[in-house]
Amino acid sequence: MNYVEWLRVRNLLRVVLIILGILLVLAVVLRVSVARYMSPDVWVHQALMNHPGVKVTNVTLPDGTPRTIIDDPAESTRAVIDDHGYKGKRIVITEPSSRAHEENSQVNVGSIQVFETRNGKMTTTVIDTNGAVPMIYYMLLADIVAVIVATILAAPLAREIDGHLEVTLTKPISRVRYALEVIGTDAVGIVAASFLTVVVFYICQLLFESARLDFSGVNARAIVMGLACPMAWYAMLCAATTWLHRSYVAVLGFAWPIVLFIGVLTLIPTHNVVALFVHDVAWVLSRLNPLTYVSFAEPNEHGLLTYTSAGFAQRLSMQILFFVAYGALAIWKWQRVEA
Amino acid sequence: MPAVLTVDPRSGVPIYLQIIEQIRRSVALGVLQAGEQLPTVKQLAIDLTVNPNTVARAYRELERDRVIETSPGRGSFVRPDGSAEAPKVGAEIGRGALDVALREAKSVGLTRNEVRDLFEAGLERWFPTEAA
Amino acid sequence: MSTITISNLRKLYGGVPAVDGFSLEIPEATVFGLLGPNGAGKTTTFKCMLDLARPSSGSILYDGKPLAPETFERIAYVPERSVLYEWMTVDEHVEMTRRAFTSFDPARAYELLAQFNVDPHKRARALSKGMKTAVMVALAFARNVNIMILDEPTGGLDPVNQRHVLSLMINEAAKGNTVIFSSHQIGQVERAAERIAVMDRGRLILEGLVDDLKADRKIVEGIFPDVSFTLDGIANDARVARTDRTERIVRLLVTAGADEIAAHLSAAGAVGVRVLDLNLEDIFLYAVSPATATADVVAKESST
Repeated sequence: MNYVEWLRVRNLLRVVLIILGILLVLAVVLRVSVARYMSPDVWVHQALMNHPGVKVTNVTLPDGTPRTIIDDPAESTRAVIDDHGYKGKRIVITEPSSRAHEENSQVNVGSIQVFETRNGKMTTTVIDTNGAVPMIYYMLLADIVAVIVATILAAPLAREIDGHLEVTLTKPISRVRYALEVIGTDAVGIVAASFLTVVVFYICQLLFESARLDFSGVNARAIVMGLACPMAWYAMLCAATTWLHRSYVAVLGFAWPIVLFIGVLTLIPTHNVVALFVHDVAWVLSRLNPLTYVSFAEPNEHGLLTYTSAGFAQRLSMQILFFVAYGALAIWKWQRVEA
Repeated sequence: MPAVLTVDPRSGVPIYLQIIEQIRRSVALGVLQAGEQLPTVKQLAIDLTVNPNTVARAYRELERDRVIETSPGRGSFVRPDGSAEAPKVGAEIGRGALDVALREAKSVGLTRNEVRDLFEAGLERWFPTEAA
Repeated sequence: MSTITISNLRKLYGGVPAVDGFSLEIPEATVFGLLGPNGAGKTTTFKCMLDLARPSSGSILYDGKPLAPETFERIAYVPERSVLYEWMTVDEHVEMTRRAFTSFDPARAYELLAQFNVDPHKRARALSKGMKTAVMVALAFARNVNIMILDEPTGGLDPVNQRHVLSLMINEAAKGNTVIFSSHQIGQVERAAERIAVMDRGRLILEGLVDDLKADRKIVEGIFPDVSFTLDGIANDARVARTDRTERIVRLLVTAGADEIAAHLSAAGAVGVRVLDLNLEDIFLYAVSPATATADVVAKESST
């Protein structure tokens, strides 16, 4: 660990915490203001308002769960709402099939899972508001924060070259060791930022309902990739800023726009020779970018956001390779730098 | 030891020579008594803000010239017979000053008689004879 | 043991030599002053000594061995310009130094900072240039090292603090450590340095003990009755480094044997022959900028 770099990391984490804290406060405010809309009574009230003739029955199940049954004979619609309180709600809606409900389907949005099944003329929709939350959603948020933090931190050697070498290089440790300590400190900072983000969003979710996290399968892969990818991105920028140390601020600032621009260029239709050339060049450049290897596939037939497990090992290896290769590039330059 | 020592590093005279000269003068004038202890090399260097080796060299030469003596562990002291040298030192200093004056006078072209007249005038000023 | 041997050091920047075949032997327990005009190569030499710059050729050895990371435990360096982290407080700099070196004494550092009137809670960007120098000096002298390398350690300091730094250097010398420093304040060099080296345009011009240089180097001045005189025999003497003739006045810069040469000058017919002392500033100016020197030499009658 490097003390000076640790101070930089600590100052940045303070800012991250403040921003996350603000989000938490906003979540609390949101929670308080929608509190009224979270109980079935309100929905019942709405239903009654809109459809006279609707019958509402309130029952208590043997395990104490309150059940509200809303019957609308005129529309042949029936809704059964089981309120498990903090643990969520289970809603079963039976209604006549219409063109909107032609197939069986499952849609997941966050923790809300919706199943639709069609039985002849009637369609049953089951809504479970407290499905397990795939870690992948958390890692998405954590990764955004981690990549931003990584971008801000990613010029540790360049910052030393910018007027502090007389202090940095007259310490009784080798240059390589110094570089490794500094990179290690930044790595701790990036992981800490990811962790803080996950924790804060978990708390936000807890405000609304008990949260069940799913760490299995794709989610475990999401966690691993979510930690590896920002580190590879960091290593790439570290190498770039160490080589272009005189203008490291510009490198960090333009990193995102350049990467996005190249990404866009890989999508242009190759109608003519010039476009083909540009596309190919952009494609090659994009292979050097670790973020290219984190691909989110389309939601699958069940609507689950995922990425294919096939190729995960390869893509993870690419991240690790990038981290080591770019890191070595940065350290190689650092070995040669002169005050 | 009284703080009579000052050195002028900007002078063309090496600092160690200045120190030697001033200690000899102090001994000759009785400002430094026989057997009196001198500051340590380190202390004098710090007091005068000069390099300790310069002070060490001065002390070595003073010791060689038998003005002071150094016992390891005890320090440096003015020799008991150091002040016996006083008249000799006084004569040396006086001769040196006269040499400088005469050389200067010669270099501006004064004759022997002119110098003698100036000398008598100066003598009267500095060593007035009692009115008989 | 802390001798430093610089052998044939050459350092080129873009093909231009900043140091051009510089050799020096710095004995242990010495205060060594490195003098030279701006751009002479002093800072470059220091950087090469500390592996902050790689020599183009030549070597620098510490007790016969090249510099290794561990050697830095025994070396303290004060660079010419501020290398403090502007966004960190002085306290944090002290902590950083404490973690980096085993021989660092934080209490001593705070003592020195107080003597220099630096508020340790301030951020470096809030400090004046002199205070930044003071911080670097305090951090260096709070360590227990054998070798101190100081590049203009009194830059920006007021006279009181300058004298303070001088005392610290002399203290180190009294402890038997090596202090190598460069300074434009010749007065300081005269006090603190036992040996000096003068550098110009990347080369060594002059080297030796300050006392010896002052004792040996003199100006022998004489006035001739008329303009027709020759100095051949005298001017060709190996000990005459420089001859200046203005009409009937002759000034010879001699490196030894001033009295003898004065006698020769008298014998050649000069009158009013004098031997003038040179202080370190004069010696320095004569070595690097003779034109300036001739105009400024103050007549100091030699007492020898």
